[in-house]
Amino acid sequence: MATGILSKEVAIYAVPLVTLLLGILIGYLAQRSGYCSIGGFRDFALFRHTRLLSGYLTLIIASFFGYLLFWFLTPSAMEHFFWALTSNPLTPVPGAPAGLAPAAYLIFAAIPGFLVGLICVLLGGCPIRQTVMASEGSYKAGFFFIGMCVGSVIFAAFVSGWVVVLMRAIGLGV
Amino acid sequence: MSPKSLPSSKKPLLSLLVRHPAFLGALIGILAAFSQALLISAGGPEAYGFCVACHTRDLVNGMTNIIADTSLALAPISKNAILPVMSVVGVIIGAFLSAKVHKEHKIKRTDHREYFIYFIGGFLVLQLAMIFGGCPYRAALRTGYGDITALLFIITMALGVVAGTLYMLRKAEKEES
Repeated sequence: MATGILSKEVAIYAVPLVTLLLGILIGYLAQRSGYCSIGGFRDFALFRHTRLLSGYLTLIIASFFGYLLFWFLTPSAMEHFFWALTSNPLTPVPGAPAGLAPAAYLIFAAIPGFLVGLICVLLGGCPIRQTVMASEGSYKAGFFFIGMCVGSVIFAAFVSGWVVVLMRAIGLGV
Repeated sequence: MSPKSLPSSKKPLLSLLVRHPAFLGALIGILAAFSQALLISAGGPEAYGFCVACHTRDLVNGMTNIIADTSLALAPISKNAILPVMSVVGVIIGAFLSAKVHKEHKIKRTDHREYFIYFIGGFLVLQLAMIFGGCPYRAALRTGYGDITALLFIITMALGVVAGTLYMLRKAEKEES
């Protein structure tokens, strides 16, 4: 079990507070900069603009160095850093439906990735951009956010189970 | 999309920095690692510092569990804590404050058909993001953490964006001719 700077008794109270403050800061700056991951790739494909894309690429690089830094400072909190070296490189960091073969997670990455890119570019922004636009007063982005909220319950209640059953049916269970 | 020219401020460098996406990208990366170092004792998963789709899921399902006494699935960190992760609430508050302060808040209404399309779009994006286990932001964090499947997600996402861009270009050309 990974242990962080705060003990578990303190951390369970700190989680909502710290994430709320983090979110306020990110939301404020995202509104200022028009931050968007999908928009970065789109602007680069259309106009060769790199402004937004630089934001997303910086995120990938900065997160690596951030995790590296805190891996030095608090190694017990970064149990599996660097994932590809400490675990089977073809398995994902937990978060997706569990208990499937590595091939299933490659499918889970490739197909949803393509579709998320396609849907988001047609609707004009990634999830964070839609949330920010909803806060700016766009009704349609607000409906995108409501769709995500309704989707959360439906995913937990039905879809996650269906996906696991489907993957087991094609022989990708464990 | 292009940034609006603002009146010259007293701190031009800071204001330039604040409005550049790369600054926010660097900030999210470092802060996500910091919040993991701080909070991981409450529960996993790793590389979970910031994610719009997952944190929306945790927020909605966590609050539903508390209010309606259900047991919808959510990440351990939100399950163990007294309240689920609140970053999405923060994003909404932060973006609203910023839009108000800089007088960019403007109600924009369209028709019901568009609302329906965006609702379905949000619904589908959440399903797909949850099947993968993260939105584009957690994919970036996971790539930084060393997860190769997340890198695959980013590559196919870029391909999807290019496909969508080409489709929009073709559609625009057809409408012109």
